[in-house]
Formats: sequence, structure tokens, C-alpha cells
Amino acid sequence: MQEDNQSKTKLNDEEVAGLTAGATVVVFFAIYWFLQIQSVRELLELAYG
Amino acid sequence: MSFRILGPYTRTVATAAVIAATLIFSYTSLRVETWYAIQPLFEWMETTWFGVIGKTWGGAFATVQAGHLIGLAVLGGCVIASDGRLLGLLLTDVPARTVVDRAYKVFFWALMVTLATGIFMACGVAMKIYYLPVYWYKMLALVAGMLFEFFVRQPMLKGDIESLNPIAVKIVAISSIMIWFTVAATGRWIGFSG
Repeated sequence: MQEDNQSKTKLNDEEVAGLTAGATVVVFFAIYWFLQIQSVRELLELAYG
Repeated sequence: MSFRILGPYTRTVATAAVIAATLIFSYTSLRVETWYAIQPLFEWMETTWFGVIGKTWGGAFATVQAGHLIGLAVLGGCVIASDGRLLGLLLTDVPARTVVDRAYKVFFWALMVTLATGIFMACGVAMKIYYLPVYWYKMLALVAGMLFEFFVRQPMLKGDIESLNPIAVKIVAISSIMIWFTVAATGRWIGFSG
């Protein structure tokens, strides 16, 4: 029973690869879009104060 | 027969290696050197039949662009349906396996249409996009999206989806939506640049 539980909690290769790639993508694009929005805000502040 | 030269976590090691290689390429002089080196390719693209037609016949460019946008819309619909189902937000009365498999078939052909029409359009405005940073962000997102879909997402989802770790499934679904959203957004950004 304990072995069954351990095998269910252990991630396989595809799941770990998915988590690695997914987490990288989420972090990268979150930073990318944050910086893009920040630059637009700065431009608007320069234009309209 | 499985071919696992790097042990039980071959795919994970390969994925991490591709991510590391992409980061090294992006944040070293290698990126700028490559950019200079491929300038002749973009100059040549404008001299091809596609380039000449795209530049001189606005109607042809607009028609192909319509196909490009329709392909992207269908692709986006597949991503929303498939990843929305994985997140448990859409089509919850249909098995996830059915939604993922059917969406993938349409996604594949929508991607082919988008790539084919995109190459034609790129030839018509090759030197414009060559100097646009947002075009390169789009290419980065597109390549990341294709690698992610064919080498990470599909292999992970090929078995029993219900038995997969739910956090891994949700992160993959969210990242898939983010990648293709960025491809679409940067694509439209190109249209408003230069």
C-alpha cells in the first residue's frame, strides 16, 4: 500500500519535463509582459505627466 | 523500444539543456553575431517570387494575410479549447482525452497554414521585419511553442490524462496559453510597427 502511494506521488519523466518547461515559460513571459506594460506606462507618463 | 541515453529522466535533461542553450544564446554576443550573419538571407527573401509578389501586389499579400489570420484564429481556438479543458474551465462534460486529441488534429493543420502563409508574408517585408525586435520575439515564442507542443506537451498527454499530476497538467496548460497568446500578440504588433 505504501509503495502504491509512493509510485503515485513520484512524477514521471514527461511530467517533470512539463513542469520544468512550463515553469520557465510562465516566469519568462510574466517578466516579458510586465516589462512591456511598464515601458508603455512610462511612455504615457512622459507624454501626459 | 525506448531510447533513454540520459537515464530515466532523458526528456527532462534534454528540456533543461534546450532552455539553458536558449538563455545562453539570448544573453551573449552569439545572438547579435547570428543576427548579422543572417542578413543576406533576408535580403535574398525579398528577391524571391514570394517577395516580389508580396511587395508589388497588395491584393495577394492581403489575401494570404487573411489566411494567416484565420489559421492563427483556428490555432488559438484549439489552444483555448484544449488547455481550457485541461484547466477544468471549458467543455467539462466531454472527456479530456477526446478534447485534447481532436483539438490537436485541428491545431496541427492550423499551424501548417499559419507557417506557410507566414513565410510568404515574411518574404514581402523581409528587411522591415529583420530590423524589428518584436519580430524576433515572435520567432522565439513560435519556436518555443512548437518545441513545447511536440516535445513536452503532447508526450506528457499521450497516456491517461487523469493519472497525471494535476499541478503539472495545469502549469503545462497555462504555459501553452501564454506562449500562443504571445505569438498572436507579437504577430499583431509587427503589423503596427515600422
